[in-house]
Amino acid sequence: MTKSFGAVRALKGVSFDLRPGEVHALLGENGAGKSTLIKVVTGAHQPDGGTIEIGGCQVAHLTPASAHELGISCIYQQPALFPALTVAENIALRLEPATVGRRVNWPERRARAQKLLLRIGAAIDADTEVRRLSMPEQQLVEIACALGAGARIVIMDEPTASLTQKEQHLLFSVVRDLRASGVGVIYISHRLEEIFALADRVTVLRDGESVGTNKVDDMNEASLIKLMVGREVSQLYPPGDAAPREVVLSLKNLGCAASGVRNVTLNVRAGEIVGLAGLVGAGRTELARILFGLTPADEGELLLNGQRLTINSPPEAVAHGIAYVPEDRRRHGVILEMPIAANITLAIHQRLFPGAWLRLGAERQLALDYIRDLDIKAYGPEAPGGALSGGNQQKIALARWLATKPKLLILDEPTQGVDVGAKSEIHKIIRHLAKEGLAVLMISSDLPEVLGMSDRIAVMRGGTITALLPGGSLAHDVMAAALGQAEKGVAA
Amino acid sequence: MSTPHHKATGWKALLFRHETVLLLVLVMEWLYFNSVGRHFGSLDNTFDIVRHTVEIGLLALVMTPIILTGGIDLSVGSLLGLCAILFGKLWRDAGMSLMVAGLCTLGFGALAGGLNATLITWLRLPPLIVTLGTYSLFRGLAEAITHGADTFTNFPASFLFLGQERWLGIPAQAPVFIVVAIAVWLLVHRTTFGRSFRAIGFTPEGARYAGIPVERRISLVYVLAGIVAALAAIIYTARLGQAKADAGTGYELFAITAVVLGGTSIFGGIGSVHGTLLGVAAIAVLSNGLVHARQPREVAGMLTGGLLLLALSSSVLPKLLSGLRARKSAANVAPIAHQTTP
Repeated sequence: MTKSFGAVRALKGVSFDLRPGEVHALLGENGAGKSTLIKVVTGAHQPDGGTIEIGGCQVAHLTPASAHELGISCIYQQPALFPALTVAENIALRLEPATVGRRVNWPERRARAQKLLLRIGAAIDADTEVRRLSMPEQQLVEIACALGAGARIVIMDEPTASLTQKEQHLLFSVVRDLRASGVGVIYISHRLEEIFALADRVTVLRDGESVGTNKVDDMNEASLIKLMVGREVSQLYPPGDAAPREVVLSLKNLGCAASGVRNVTLNVRAGEIVGLAGLVGAGRTELARILFGLTPADEGELLLNGQRLTINSPPEAVAHGIAYVPEDRRRHGVILEMPIAANITLAIHQRLFPGAWLRLGAERQLALDYIRDLDIKAYGPEAPGGALSGGNQQKIALARWLATKPKLLILDEPTQGVDVGAKSEIHKIIRHLAKEGLAVLMISSDLPEVLGMSDRIAVMRGGTITALLPGGSLAHDVMAAALGQAEKGVAA
Repeated sequence: MSTPHHKATGWKALLFRHETVLLLVLVMEWLYFNSVGRHFGSLDNTFDIVRHTVEIGLLALVMTPIILTGGIDLSVGSLLGLCAILFGKLWRDAGMSLMVAGLCTLGFGALAGGLNATLITWLRLPPLIVTLGTYSLFRGLAEAITHGADTFTNFPASFLFLGQERWLGIPAQAPVFIVVAIAVWLLVHRTTFGRSFRAIGFTPEGARYAGIPVERRISLVYVLAGIVAALAAIIYTARLGQAKADAGTGYELFAITAVVLGGTSIFGGIGSVHGTLLGVAAIAVLSNGLVHARQPREVAGMLTGGLLLLALSSSVLPKLLSGLRARKSAANVAPIAHQTTP
């Protein structure tokens, strides 16, 4: 099965099979292709190649509607129920055909809902409004819907992400019941302990490829982590500079209650790339937003070049020489409707345009310089940002912040959704900047990138830095720290 | 650079086409009314149009940067009324000279605009809601001060000169308008402020991530609108020779209509001050011309609405059609985004 998006292949010849009455876990790093695989199976995306067979019959063209008819149900992290309606109404919305003018048979509707809930052992009254239910109860309602729809395949995408320990156990017993009744369950989770507790087999995806399907009994945590990351770090990454210089950024017990970041202590030196690793939701982007003044810190200290600062807004951050290339390029990194030149000069209005008067000639020249230096492929400085490919948009976002001549450059997923060629170009640019003395803090979920680019690696988990690892660390150690398997602290 | 340029200059070309259409409409209006009405084309009548348009024109000028940021200000008409009352009160009852009263009124306009700005940026309320509130508040205050009955009259002739006489051969308020028009045009088209307004209009979050002081820039456009509304109030009082609580009723909608007619996108980001000037002229010539063509006043409203819809669809329709064509032939269109500069 193959799936490509633009220039990036998200799935490369993945084979995956699910037997009735088994729990098959799907494991992989962020961006390994798990979500894409699920979207193909639920009919949200069409595969570019390969086949899908369900119950022995090949399915030519899977759409969300036909997937539903074939008995494929997906339960997401966030239940997609209507909070103001009752449980029975929500179940009816999924299961009853939408015909105009049909009279509602309330007793039947309620009875069916109650029967489905009983079948999964849920003590929920069908007349309760969904907003009064807890998160796991809502997930149970989702499962009841799936059962009612005659699901043969139930997909669960990180169902325990927001559950307490006790709620997890309830969910697990329901999943086991599903298995016992012959339903095939595809179970996605970052938590290894769940996979050992629940799954029969496990398939590990890496870079859109399946690196193996194994019986869970044959595996242990170490071998799973090795499978997830276990490749040699590419030699293509530009080599680093051995001699670190003075400390540029120093954080002491920094935190912000509103964004869930706490007790962050970290130094970033001039000429150094510090990789910030961790799973999605570990607090990495939140930390960057604090440093850029988008959500100001409310505890701890922030020192820039030894000077204690409070940064309350992005303009203040810019004035102090902090640059942030955000994760969401299309919404935050580049203004798609604006020409390249205007995009590049957006953060240097004060310096380039004294007295606020635009100097269009100087702006055009600056844009041409960056187009040349960063090899941005565009037909001119007047081209709108939205007309460029992802990699070139990222270079514009980078150019905007390089133009500010920052002391500290924060990069948030600098090569996400960028094709391979542009990716290595961006890596070279970043390394070059560090060599020129810039302090770089690079957030990345791309493990090879973190390992290949970083001089040191800080791993975040649960809003704080849980491990500081040296540049040449093993992928296994980084992943273990990100998953919370081992708490290793190495002095900064 | 032999590559097709239509994508780069897409919205600029659109704007240009829009302004050309509007200019054409304006010329056609003028030619038609000139042939129908006997005195329409006379210099006296032209000056009459100018006198009657300056206040709405001023409001439309400062409405342009507001709409460029993706905002709106419904309170400018009410603020004009309140400022006219305040101006009369300060002069007649507080015994201030006209000059001091005028300066105080301008200062009050800035404060009132600052109120809008504060509510929008601090409380993060939508501009539509905030200015809908101050729209009622300002008008209500004006009525409360005058108890709905008091009017201020008997201004000295030296003051009425501003609204009723000629200076250097043109209506005396025209130079004021020209100065404001040039200033707003420079602000929007030639300074970093204008850039910021557009960036905020396209995407406020994107502008924030670019380090633009979004709140300060938004505040600026509303304070500016307040000051200019106060200026319009003074000119209005000088033109009519009296200040009443209902001064400027409905002007905010004329101003918004002129701005949108002039090609400024109500969603923000795209638009121009010269477009707004053309929009103001098109509306002003239409309503004056209809009087000369002996048409009832209510026809003006209908035709203004029709003109607005026509002008908007004339700029959107070609884009819509080309979009449909592009979708049909999407398969065999070569991507133009990857061209290099020579």
